[in-house]
Amino acid sequence: MTAELTWGMPVILYLFLAGVGAGALTASASVLLRGGGGGFGGSHVEIARYGAFLAPLPVMVGCLALIFELGSFEVGNWFRWINLYMTINLSPMSIGTWLLSFFIMVSMAYAYTFVPNAPFLGEWQRPLRVMLAWVSVPLGIATAIYTGILLGAMPARPFWNSPILALLFMLSSISTGVAVILLFRALLHRTSTPEAEQAAKESDYLLTATDVMLIGFELMVIFLFLMYAQLTIGNVKEAMSVILPGGDLAPLFWLGVVLIGLLIPALIELYYVIPELLYHRGFASPRYVDIVVSVAVLIGGFLLRYVVVIAGQVTGPVGI
Amino acid sequence: MTDPNNSSSIDRRAFLKGTAAVAAAGVGVAAGAESTRAAVTALKPHYGMLIDLRRCIGCHACSVACKAEFDVPLGVNRSWVEYIEKGDYPNVRRSFLPRLCNHCSKPQCVSVCPTNATWKRKEDGIVVIDPDICIGCKYCIQACPYDARFLNPKTGAADKCDFCLHRVTKGLEPSCVQTCIGRARIFGDLHDPESEISRMIANNPVTVLRPEMGTQPNVFYIAADHSDPHTSHAHGEYIRIETHRRQAERR
Repeated sequence: MTAELTWGMPVILYLFLAGVGAGALTASASVLLRGGGGGFGGSHVEIARYGAFLAPLPVMVGCLALIFELGSFEVGNWFRWINLYMTINLSPMSIGTWLLSFFIMVSMAYAYTFVPNAPFLGEWQRPLRVMLAWVSVPLGIATAIYTGILLGAMPARPFWNSPILALLFMLSSISTGVAVILLFRALLHRTSTPEAEQAAKESDYLLTATDVMLIGFELMVIFLFLMYAQLTIGNVKEAMSVILPGGDLAPLFWLGVVLIGLLIPALIELYYVIPELLYHRGFASPRYVDIVVSVAVLIGGFLLRYVVVIAGQVTGPVGI
Repeated sequence: MTDPNNSSSIDRRAFLKGTAAVAAAGVGVAAGAESTRAAVTALKPHYGMLIDLRRCIGCHACSVACKAEFDVPLGVNRSWVEYIEKGDYPNVRRSFLPRLCNHCSKPQCVSVCPTNATWKRKEDGIVVIDPDICIGCKYCIQACPYDARFLNPKTGAADKCDFCLHRVTKGLEPSCVQTCIGRARIFGDLHDPESEISRMIANNPVTVLRPEMGTQPNVFYIAADHSDPHTSHAHGEYIRIETHRRQAERR
């Protein structure tokens, strides 16, 4: 692999962080709208609050990383990126720019509605929160999908030019978004009363069970991604060989993404989810397990972006 | 208006005259179709290049002329020559493949640009970049199937061959064409059927690079060797490509 990388670590970091933020917002808003309690999240409102506060920052950091990588920024034209806002066209990056800007604004406003007794909102706090949640679900999913479309738009990069890549990135985004909520809850959560303890357990179960389901879908999409590459000939098959056994990125993909990022967390989560799911024996996963699982999912999500971004650039069309 | 018969006869006469005129014009159009098309296209040229590799000796004069013309920074190239070395003794062959932007009719670099900093000129079909608009996001560099683009380390913008736009608009040939000692490069208007390039393309078997990418390149080759390590290794044939660029591998 002597090929030069046009897009390096900042882009990888951005794809990962934007995915985490988009996933956290989607999860938070979904829980708020569908979590019982008359549209206010019910006993799961705690999850919604964590997700709301965790969503904006990673996306903003990711966008900053992107700006630092711009060629114009590197030669000292620090504000040339404003040109992105001078036009809108059908380039995925142009649409993505507007989408991300809108995402940052909406997610900040949504997070603000979770500030206890937020100034300037008054009685509008709760209705506004629900309204923004309705916007946040499609917005979060759109942002998560967009990161895959950005890469998928180029026939010259056969590894990326697959319609299922966007779906893979979306599932991974929501999975890492759920994991980051799980992680911060495990680190920061304090309960005092037995009722609160019970509610926390139920929330924990919701998050963990959701994560298992998402990982299952992710494994299926990865299987289809590889399967169709294997069944074709030419550019795509040649490109995909870098992550298949014998390829340069195969160890990182199979050990990092599939084993650490998907299989191990899924098995651990199943171990705790199945007793409740099948036999209603109650869900009791220790705090350290939540931490281990969510960190593994986050590592896997990052490595997925890493492997995909590198693999797309070290491979190209076959023949000249 | 007062005499309906009179009025109708005038109308009929006028109608017949009109029909005759239209018919005559129709004959005229049919007869002069060739000249009419030439007249229309003469207003809007569509530039392209033909590289006749039977005449190329791989001397890199084009690469050097290009470097000099644009003061292209070290380590990057707008125009370069690849060497293809293949076969086992005594059946061996070394070929040359001069490369440059293909000024595609369906440029994928243009369709991914988020700031409209690159476009295909309607006047002459040349794909250009405005370095004062370009933010250097490198999306176009990723999207080009020919690796013709690079990030200019001086301007921080994407850069590539522009068919020597500053020369062409003054009626001169691109620098690489003028310097080519074998006269392997022919530059001209693809819309003009009488131009040297159009006649050469019509009279010879020509190929373009990676046609399956759907880009419809406007740089044509005669007798190009399309061998590539990815395809040749399957046959167990020895092959080595020298790109003469910092990016040592073709991609």
